[in-house]
Amino acid sequence: MVKTSFPKGVHPPEEKDRTSNIPITDLPLPEKILIPLSQHLGKPAKATKGRGDTVTVGERIGEADGFISAHVHSPVSGKIKKLVQLPLPGGRMGEYMEIEVDKEATEAFSFPEKEFDLENATQETVAQALKEAGIVGMGGATFPANVKFTPPKGKTLDSLIINGAECEPYLTCDHRMMLEHAAEIMAAIRILHKAYAFEQILVGIEENKSDAAQALKEEADKYQDLPIQVITTKVKYPQGAEKMLIQALTGRIVPMGKLPLEVGAVVSNVQTVYAMYEAFYREKPLIERVLTVTGDGIAEPKNIRAPLGTPIAKLYEFCGGMKSEPRKMIAGGPMMGIALPTIDYSVMKGSSGYLLFDRPSVPEEGPCIMCGRCVQACPMNLVPLRIAALAKAEQYADAKEYDATSCVECGACAYGCPAKIRLVAWIRYAKNFINIRGL
Amino acid sequence: MTEKKEGYILTSSPHLFSSSTTPKIMYTVLATLLPVAIVSILLFGMKVLLLYAVSIATAVATEAAVKAARRQSIHSIYDGSAVITGLLLVMVVPPDLSPVFVALGAFVAIFIGKEVFGGLGANVFNPALVGRAFLSASYPVQMTSYSQPQALFPIAGGVDAAGGATPLAAARFEGVVTPLKSLLLGQIGGSIGETCALLIIIGGLVLIALKIVDWQLVLAYLGTVFLLTGLFYLIDPGTYPSPLFHLLSGGLMLGAFYMATDMATSPYTPWGNVVFGVGAGLIVVVIRLFGGFPEGVMYSILLMNAVTPLINRYTRPKTFGSPSGKGAVS
Ligand code: SF4
Ligand code: SF4
Repeated sequence: MVKTSFPKGVHPPEEKDRTSNIPITDLPLPEKILIPLSQHLGKPAKATKGRGDTVTVGERIGEADGFISAHVHSPVSGKIKKLVQLPLPGGRMGEYMEIEVDKEATEAFSFPEKEFDLENATQETVAQALKEAGIVGMGGATFPANVKFTPPKGKTLDSLIINGAECEPYLTCDHRMMLEHAAEIMAAIRILHKAYAFEQILVGIEENKSDAAQALKEEADKYQDLPIQVITTKVKYPQGAEKMLIQALTGRIVPMGKLPLEVGAVVSNVQTVYAMYEAFYREKPLIERVLTVTGDGIAEPKNIRAPLGTPIAKLYEFCGGMKSEPRKMIAGGPMMGIALPTIDYSVMKGSSGYLLFDRPSVPEEGPCIMCGRCVQACPMNLVPLRIAALAKAEQYADAKEYDATSCVECGACAYGCPAKIRLVAWIRYAKNFINIRGL
Repeated sequence: MTEKKEGYILTSSPHLFSSSTTPKIMYTVLATLLPVAIVSILLFGMKVLLLYAVSIATAVATEAAVKAARRQSIHSIYDGSAVITGLLLVMVVPPDLSPVFVALGAFVAIFIGKEVFGGLGANVFNPALVGRAFLSASYPVQMTSYSQPQALFPIAGGVDAAGGATPLAAARFEGVVTPLKSLLLGQIGGSIGETCALLIIIGGLVLIALKIVDWQLVLAYLGTVFLLTGLFYLIDPGTYPSPLFHLLSGGLMLGAFYMATDMATSPYTPWGNVVFGVGAGLIVVVIRLFGGFPEGVMYSILLMNAVTPLINRYTRPKTFGSPSGKGAVS
């Protein structure tokens, strides 16, 4: 195993010890779930069921609306109480379906394992299966997987990159998935390879999860026909950012404003690959996921498998409750996650974790001292201090000139800034204006 | 389960911040300068301690007054940057300068050199050097009268007294070359904090290790001076002093480690720092060897300060995946 990395980046504290050794546990079935129809990048799904309808586990309740969208399925059997508009993390409103859970029926339901017709796996059947199962990128970007795996005419995907970097501090759900489900992940990779005949399959895992790398390597060794390599990378943030991981593992540079397929690569998070396994071998749609609940504000941090739509209050209950009165709650990791105003949110396809902090650090912003640390941190080679200053001065065209739109909002710049300037917030602000004004 | 009634704190990502802060950086710089200051007091006597006190007090008071007049928070006086300016200003003036002049210099340094531009980070020129440039222009005689330090180290020959001149002036105008050992330990005439090169180098290396000072700039600056003066030394050792003499004399070490690398007034890109260093090095050599002054560190830094915004623009890293480059230049 080679140690590799992208240039630049930062080294935030890892904070993974709380949960990295705790096996995944299943959340007890909640009495009701509140499942959003917009859990993916692109257009929200269109409800195919309405108030009063009964649904069974795995039944489609929302239909993909257009090419970049995804189906939504019911994780439970039960009855739809209502459809409501509620805020999604980040503030946008979205449609939610409230389902009263029929415990017995839900627990009685199962997705038996089937033999997968490996010989007949084609790009079309694979993409179709991903679409049917409503699979989206579970690392957080929630891009519909079937779209990713459907290269436009004239393009081929020669490299499959499996993202097991999990570079966000605190989160350990992917780590546990790799440890506990290496075999399933590898089985899904085999099918993908059968359909796409990749030249190389590279699994990127940060060095601090060498046990996971070992587990996947052992599984990989069972398949002599796979051109697969498990590669441990340096522990550096944002190693798991798509473009950075491609660079670290293949040396290829995804052109500005383009998708990885431009360089023949497709990147999938390990949990997404596990969801593919379930879709291929059990015809089970994406209706649950594993996430990490942690931080100094929660009594017993855990890695939890929970149905989509689970109210997050249920997660906290399962973790022994909040310790005192946490002051900050984050959906996702501490570097890119979204601060939530209340606990009235639900588990979604892209929810990698929830963090509760008793003593969040909210440092005061000072003047930029031009130290250049943000420049040295930015994996996209931007000049964050300039873009932020231009945003403050409302010079959005100039911010565009400084390639503000290339910012992946990883937060590496703001993390290291001694003046604690909210660089990402300012850059995002500039990006919005560039978008709206079509600059 | 309780829900916080005040609500949760809502801020934009990231939610984690490194422990590095502006005051921490400034106080670290101060800490590494402290030994230099102490030795300068030992070398030149208690009068220097008075100068430090006057200069720092004036610098901090000026900043507070300006902030108050602008109805801004005067909290910035605690960030340590005005203290550094006050300290550095004393280090680059002669030991016999009157405290009144020093106070005037500190006032100009903070008022013209820093606050007129908008305060910390917005200034174009190194404030301490602005103060010094003002004093040099206004009081040229007082600013070039150097007394000799006390013999602090048992070096053979004691203090190298070249007729009350600095080693650079002695070399330039009288052809007398001061031994390197004297230069390293500060047993020479010169500005207050410039004489003990050894402590400056140690402090500077600590700052490089802590990533507060950009090694690229220091290396480019000192390297350029070394190579160019070395070239002339090789051509004519009789006329031109050795490159090591040039490195260790005058304000070069203090300038390279503590003034050229001032974050606000030096480039923020690694290649920009190289350009800055090479440019400053060139200017120093030209002034020292061919100019009308024996020393050129101050002008070299001020001139490069002026072009730093330009350097930043032209050394901007190539955006990842941008068509004009392969990305990842620096
Ligand atoms: S890291 Fe912060 S203080 Fe330093 S240059 Fe960037 S924005 Fe300015
Ligand atoms: S500018 Fe954007 S891409 Fe660069 S470090 Fe900051 S958040 Fe990350």
